[in-house]
Amino acid sequence: MVDRKDPGPDSDELYRKVGLLTRQLHDSLRELGYDRQLESAVSSLPDARNRLSYISRLTGQAAEKVLNGVDRAKAELDGIAAGAAGVALALRADPVAAVSSGQVMAYLEEARLAAQRTDAQLTEIMLAQDFHDLTGQVIRKVVALAQSLESQLVELLLASTAGAPAPAAVARPAVGALSGPAVTTAGRTDVVSSQSQVDDLLESLGF
Amino acid sequence: MSAENMRFLIVDDFSTMRRIIRNILKEIGYAHADEAEDGQVALAKLKSAAFDFVVSDINMPNMNGFQLLQSIRADESLKGLPVLMVTAEARKEDIVTAAQSGASGYIVKPFTKATLEEKVQKIMQKLGR
Repeated sequence: MVDRKDPGPDSDELYRKVGLLTRQLHDSLRELGYDRQLESAVSSLPDARNRLSYISRLTGQAAEKVLNGVDRAKAELDGIAAGAAGVALALRADPVAAVSSGQVMAYLEEARLAAQRTDAQLTEIMLAQDFHDLTGQVIRKVVALAQSLESQLVELLLASTAGAPAPAAVARPAVGALSGPAVTTAGRTDVVSSQSQVDDLLESLGF
Repeated sequence: MSAENMRFLIVDDFSTMRRIIRNILKEIGYAHADEAEDGQVALAKLKSAAFDFVVSDINMPNMNGFQLLQSIRADESLKGLPVLMVTAEARKEDIVTAAQSGASGYIVKPFTKATLEEKVQKIMQKLGR
């Protein structure tokens, strides 16, 4: 059985060499300015994490809204179908009584209202699809971030081989100046979190 | 001009959003709408056909909503056109820029049917339509 607690003299030498290589790599990175790039790449990861959480939250909310809307619309349609069956029965049994009792008119009015409520649910379902636009913008930002990270790692890889190009030689994707959806609004004073805040701001500007 | 005859131009790089806005406009009585996927296409359409109202996103490729707004306000034949910004840009700085560049209104996404209806009506009232 091998005693893993006692690596022996060869292992000491190996650790020393690894230590030396790590120091050389660290010094080389600093000399070439890659340490700052790596730091920048790493610091962008929490932002990507926030953006991905936002996408997950928004798609979840949209799915929930759609399913709720469908449930409500189906209930309205079930009500219309059941009401129609009841009116049909009443008309077959005694058409005059069905009309004179107001049953037919009451059903028609209820069907009209149910159609309006169903229409409102369908509008909600349609509006829930706005997640495609909002998450699409955030996904673009995350993709740009991933590309930037990738290019920085490629630069690092090239720098570790002979004839490495200067850091600026590798092109980075341009990230738009516009920020897109506010992924987090808590504790921020530079963004608005509702339409009423937009309206207040515009009003303060005289609009 | 009556609402049913007004021509809207909806500018957004996401077809889903263009469709949502188009459907809401139809629901609130504005049935005539055309679409453009960015500011550049929108500007070309505005110069080749008559429109009465522009609903525009801000963050778009080729020409963004701010650039489109500035081009509209700088063009003698288009400068009076109402432009309602409907955007996910929630920075106060962007809202102020839009207002100073001559936007007629600003809606932040996600929005409701009631909000779009209210802002369109408000702009119409200001224009006396």
